[in-house]
Amino acid sequence: MVNNNIMNELQIDTYSFSSRLILGTGKFGNVQSMLDAIRASGTELVTVALRRFNREQVEHDLFAALSTIEGLTLMPNTSGASNAREAVRAAHISRELSGSPFIKVEIHPNPQHLMPDPIETFEASRILASEGFLVMPYIPADPVLAKRLEDAGCASVMPLGSAIGSGQGLATAEMVKLIIRESSIPVIVDAGLRSPSEACAAMEMGCEAVLVNSAIAVAENPEAMAAAFADAVKAGYKARKAGIMPKSGSAVATSPLTSFLGKKP
Amino acid sequence: MVFVMITITLNGEQRKIRDGSAVDDILDIIGAEQQRVAVVVNENIVPPENRSSMILRENDQVDVLAFAEGG
Repeated sequence: MVNNNIMNELQIDTYSFSSRLILGTGKFGNVQSMLDAIRASGTELVTVALRRFNREQVEHDLFAALSTIEGLTLMPNTSGASNAREAVRAAHISRELSGSPFIKVEIHPNPQHLMPDPIETFEASRILASEGFLVMPYIPADPVLAKRLEDAGCASVMPLGSAIGSGQGLATAEMVKLIIRESSIPVIVDAGLRSPSEACAAMEMGCEAVLVNSAIAVAENPEAMAAAFADAVKAGYKARKAGIMPKSGSAVATSPLTSFLGKKP
Repeated sequence: MVFVMITITLNGEQRKIRDGSAVDDILDIIGAEQQRVAVVVNENIVPPENRSSMILRENDQVDVLAFAEGG
């Protein structure tokens, strides 16, 4: 009997989530498509960005739209910040808006590659963790940095699979494995995933969750793709719990090699 | 009736408003009165309960922020 009880929930600090798929809300064609995908994914944790209020938002209230989905927790990000000071400021404002303790620290000063700045990310994360935020930093897949962030009080670390929106998958797989091996906080692959098989692989590898945005938002059918990712994440997690067989350098027969018809014993 | 006007910076742009305007009045002007927004005046967050009583002054830097889609 497969045990589907609380042990299968994603635990981040004292919070638990029934889904191990976290969704980004960017790049969807329209709000309805985003809401349909969120529902289909079964996620209970979604990211949002903080921006100056503009005229378009008079007609288009994201907070109200997301509030129509029951049981959803917001994880604001600090995108747009180019240093720790700006990220900390964005986090304070976001907490005022969201009422959520979660913050995705995201500091990528170069729009060409959007690689996270490890020094500013560490500094912002350290400050915010000391202020009681549940800090989820988006980081390069660096095991030393990940450990330092854990020691600084982060609730999880979120190494990138590959560049944001690139769809290059788990290019950092070997480094993510090292992070997982050393971490006692949840490791969540964030960014770069293109297809459900990659999300499944990340879960098999030992990630506690994956964060997906572009792969779902820009799919031909985001709702169906969200459901596919949800299945893949569950499959990968179940497989890991089931115990994946070790690799062998040579063939290991699955049928008896003796006593075949007409052969001598 | 002639109103005395003051200049503030609202979301990065200079704007003339009536002297004596409160933060709440600014939200009405930009259409954000019904929405969940954060207001920051001169780098200090103004909680909702203080927005009707907080009167803006000449050269105040006002930012009104809301959540937008993002990953």
